Amino acid sequence: MTGSKKNNEVHIQLAEVFKRYSPVVGSHLRNQKTRTVLSGVTLEINKGERVGLIGSNGAGKTTLLKVIAGISKISTGKLVVNGRVNSLMELGAGFYPDLTGRENILLNGMLAGASRKEVRRSMNDIIKYSGIEKFIDYPFYTYSAGMKLRLAFSVATHASPDILLFDEIVAMGDEKFIKTFKNYFNRVLKEKKTVIFATHVLTVLPLYCERVIWMDGGKVRMDGKASEVIAKYQKEMAKEIDRD
Amino acid sequence: MAIFGFAWIFINPIIQMLVMGFIFQFFVPVKTANYFEFLFPGLLVWNFFSYTVLKNTPIFIGERALLKKANFPKETLVLSVVIVNLLNFLLALIVFVTFEWLVLSEVHWWRWWLLPGIMVWLTVLTTGLSLLFSSLNVKWRDVNYGVQALMPLWFYATPIVYSIDLLPKWAANFVYFNPMTAIVEILRWVVIGTPVGWVSIWVSLLSTLIIFVLGWIVFKNNSSYFDDWL
Repeated sequence: MTGSKKNNEVHIQLAEVFKRYSPVVGSHLRNQKTRTVLSGVTLEINKGERVGLIGSNGAGKTTLLKVIAGISKISTGKLVVNGRVNSLMELGAGFYPDLTGRENILLNGMLAGASRKEVRRSMNDIIKYSGIEKFIDYPFYTYSAGMKLRLAFSVATHASPDILLFDEIVAMGDEKFIKTFKNYFNRVLKEKKTVIFATHVLTVLPLYCERVIWMDGGKVRMDGKASEVIAKYQKEMAKEIDRD
Repeated sequence: MAIFGFAWIFINPIIQMLVMGFIFQFFVPVKTANYFEFLFPGLLVWNFFSYTVLKNTPIFIGERALLKKANFPKETLVLSVVIVNLLNFLLALIVFVTFEWLVLSEVHWWRWWLLPGIMVWLTVLTTGLSLLFSSLNVKWRDVNYGVQALMPLWFYATPIVYSIDLLPKWAANFVYFNPMTAIVEILRWVVIGTPVGWVSIWVSLLSTLIIFVLGWIVFKNNSSYFDDWL
């Protein structure tokens, strides 16, 4: 992959990436083996691409996102990520129930890699975009799940990352949030930001991404145009369900 | 809601000092004008040290939700506990000095210039040990139980309720190798001018340095794999 002519356009590059988990220390479980969650993943994602990630449970989707986000370290292989990554792996991670919405924005904006100054400057925009101005000075534990999601999403998108990772977050929002999400994607398209999101909600996927990667057993099973990969995946899933 | 909020910073050590001072003055034959004055500086140093290390040891497990979801400098979790406790320590120290100034004997103001140095020293030691224990505890959860068992022993191995000259020779030699000894003794010298053993200063400085470097290396080597073990 070296000497690629559009190297500065490649945002994320993985070559033969393996991620193995060793057995748990001091466990009473016998015959524990090293688990290989990513086994030889090779892929490139260019700047401004919006990529969907599909696959059954345990296929390695979340691990792949974690590796790209720098949360988890790869065992072997090569991984290059150019730019600031922000990951929305789960709703409310990093949000503390006893802090107010405003305090949580500050904390999470900084966790997302923005400076205190940057977060302070965009504080009003974040609050406005989240649509929960009325409750922003209440403790976070008083929020409904939807309000939490909107606040988390607003913070994540305002941290001005170059690469955004979403892990199963669309499924939780209501109609209004899905619309916000869609609008955001349109904006992202203009700003040439790279977005990867893993989901099981196949119907919404073609709305957001032109490219879909199908993970299976820690490997890339198929990588290509969204509609084609989804069609193939659904066919395969139907076959598997029939077999059971 | 916490009603007393801020006040707990002062209430806790004062209650502790009154109780311990009352009890131990009957058992520890320290030659000092006021046992409370003798006890309090050491107690404050110890509280900072033990609260911080005890809180930090399981911190990566407590914050696993965050560590598994976001990539950020993980040492900030440990440092935030150190800084909060350092602030509490300083505030309690201010109350103590005021108390000393108003009620007890004279205050040796010029000696307090040593304070920043003592603070840095204590902070480096505490941070090093926190990093070491918290990093090891991610993989080996026994560490947390071990530290909980260690701390009360360490308390009595530090000349806080007693002075080192009350010990038999062999025990005194042992206590000299405790990195906390010199720190407690120096702060006590600042307050009431009790002697400090030179040997213990060098031993403590050296072991502080070793502990910090060791803690930092263990943390650096393991922190990128925390996600695997949480």
